[in-house]
Amino acid sequence: MTGDDRSTIGGDLPAARDDRPAMGDDDPTTRDDRSPTRDLRPDGGHSSVEEPGEDRSSTGTSAEDVLIEDEGGRELDRGPFQRWVDRSIEDPERVYRSMFYVATVFFLFTTLFPFYWLLMVALTPEGNQQDIILTPNGFNPGAFVEVFQVIPFHWYVFNSFVIAAASTAIVLVVASLAGYAFGRLDFPAKGPLMLLVLVISFFPPAAFFIPLNDLFNTSFVALEPITGDGTLYNTPGAMVLPLSAIFMPLAIFILTTFYAQIPDGLEDAARVEGTTRLGALFRVVVPLSAPGVATAGVLTFIAVYNEFFFSFLMTDGQVENWAPLLEGILGYQGQYEVMYHLMAASSIIGVIPVAILVIVAQEKIVSGLTAGGLKE
Amino acid sequence: MARVRLENVSKHFDDVTAVDDLSIEIEDGEFVSFVGPSGCGKSTTMETVAGLTKPSEGTVYIGDNEVTNLAPKDRGVSMVFQNIALFPHMDVFENISFGLRLRKYDDEEVQRRVERAAEIVQLEGMLDRMPNELSGGQQQRVAIARAIVRNPDVFLMDEPLANLDAKLRVTMRTELQRLHRELEQTIIYVTHDQAEAMTMSNRIAVLDKGELQQIAAPLVCYNEPANLFVAGFIGSPSMNLIEGELVEEGLRTKNFTVEFDPAGVPDVRVGDSVTIGVRPEDLHLATDADSLGPIACRIDATADVIEPMGDETFVYLLLAEDVERTMDRDEQSTPDQLLMSVDAVTDIEAGRDVEIVFDAPAVHLFDTESGEALVHGIEDLVTDEETGRPTSPEQ
Repeated sequence: MTGDDRSTIGGDLPAARDDRPAMGDDDPTTRDDRSPTRDLRPDGGHSSVEEPGEDRSSTGTSAEDVLIEDEGGRELDRGPFQRWVDRSIEDPERVYRSMFYVATVFFLFTTLFPFYWLLMVALTPEGNQQDIILTPNGFNPGAFVEVFQVIPFHWYVFNSFVIAAASTAIVLVVASLAGYAFGRLDFPAKGPLMLLVLVISFFPPAAFFIPLNDLFNTSFVALEPITGDGTLYNTPGAMVLPLSAIFMPLAIFILTTFYAQIPDGLEDAARVEGTTRLGALFRVVVPLSAPGVATAGVLTFIAVYNEFFFSFLMTDGQVENWAPLLEGILGYQGQYEVMYHLMAASSIIGVIPVAILVIVAQEKIVSGLTAGGLKE
Repeated sequence: MARVRLENVSKHFDDVTAVDDLSIEIEDGEFVSFVGPSGCGKSTTMETVAGLTKPSEGTVYIGDNEVTNLAPKDRGVSMVFQNIALFPHMDVFENISFGLRLRKYDDEEVQRRVERAAEIVQLEGMLDRMPNELSGGQQQRVAIARAIVRNPDVFLMDEPLANLDAKLRVTMRTELQRLHRELEQTIIYVTHDQAEAMTMSNRIAVLDKGELQQIAAPLVCYNEPANLFVAGFIGSPSMNLIEGELVEEGLRTKNFTVEFDPAGVPDVRVGDSVTIGVRPEDLHLATDADSLGPIACRIDATADVIEPMGDETFVYLLLAEDVERTMDRDEQSTPDQLLMSVDAVTDIEAGRDVEIVFDAPAVHLFDTESGEALVHGIEDLVTDEETGRPTSPEQ
């Protein structure tokens, strides 16, 4: 709404409008008729709206004057809330701004408060863990060192990092090929196939677990040189393979939309200049879809890194058997006691690699998530 | 440098035939334009040469090698695209050297060749710019440099000037001609603009509906169009084409009769429908008749609309009263309307009755049914009014 619009609304008050056809604006009677209204009405838009309110709060007498003058007018005796409502009607931007702040505070609270509480739990010395509300019961920053002394927690983080990185690499390469086919080629049954890929991602992981666990505990001669006993259980493969497959469809979907938007001419140019189709994909299409690739990569990495089900069940929980971060956190849980402060400290440490990754890739992710539909 | 030969090439997309049994041979070092309206198959034809599209049938040869199933990168071709297609994430140097680097040329050679190519297209000092920092003309020059830097056998250009403004297009047109003279490479050029094709090419291949209509030197296409399509497409404004019927004394159309001996026209008989074609610049006011050859026809008309173009003036002539008027200069003429092009100094005004003439050499006759050209110039068939003998330009 512009200032002009607002003044038009004020000028269309019944008294003024009824008089206008009969008498010109120069006519003094018209002005007299309109004057009480005009005192109330904001002449110059938003800034002058605030003047009466400020007057009322600063000097009581002038506020009363205004109130007396208002008698018979349209607005009378407004409280702070009514004033706020009135101003919001004049300037709807205020409402959007307040809604934005309310939503922001709500989401910041729900996402950050658990971290705050984790930190409080971590800082509280062992044995004092009752009644932690907003402050720790004591101060024990040594917990962040102790986590590495009780068990080799850094190796658990390393295992998780390797599993997540390997899955991400596989997902990006395979999903790039699939995204190229779905996004840039024409072939029969393209739509149904894409749907099938997406449907797979709707399956609960538990549905795959029993057959996969059985499979990964089966010994294959071909695998013996690599894993020793020929099974995939207790190797990164037992997590990388199923997790790559489960998070693949989302990556395919993201990359398909991005690759489809790269103009055909660029790919043709690359092919005439000397690349194969595959070369054109990795030299031209992928670099130009960087935001999409970053988005798919980071989403996959976070999902694998945070995954519980397969990570918990595909190893025996020993760090030398590629047990991931999760097993490390659960490792502070003994038969007779649970070291909550160490679990809290290790949880915070475990978040750090992902947090760094997100901050580094943030710019690309944001443009990837929002610009997907509109990229040139 | 190499010859390019297409043999019976066809391309079908689902139920649409984009190219229909096309055979063309392009000589070494020749500049050939494929020209035709949108959807005539010219771009598809070029893509089959480049290898971006595989023909449904037929074979493609570059030099002495059959390349029908070869990948684009192995054909020794380079291409300039209509949408320029510079890689936006690479600077000018990287764009131009893309193909060289893929082929593992050593750095010194790459540097030397890129600088030479940049020099040819006058892009010195811009090698470190990104494509989005360049103007449209500069981008197009980068694309051309990228195409010439590899010294390809065949140089393909798919409407490279279509996205440039009119002034730049004329400049680039001359630059491309200069480039062709310097490089002496085989160039295949696709355009829908017949003026571009006329000015630059050694030969023009006119395509319509996926079929080759005529391939010949520009002036041959202009002076001796092989059929009605070429006659209407080549030349701006396009040729007046009026349908008529062959009668004993010549050709009778709705509003006038051209007198000649119909027996001298091959392949048609009296009673067949024949279309007469006369270019706007071959129509003259009767007052200028003395400077012409044997007059084939005199027509009474009314000047309807005058369009002064500066160097010449287009006059729309109405041959009958109360006719439906169409004003589109590029449309084929109606039987009741003719377009005449006269000198800018000619004294003519709208609404005036005029007598117009055209001479025998300017007449083209086409078989209406098949569209094929029958005769270009009927000076041998016209009987001189005084001597009663056939006239020819020498007499």
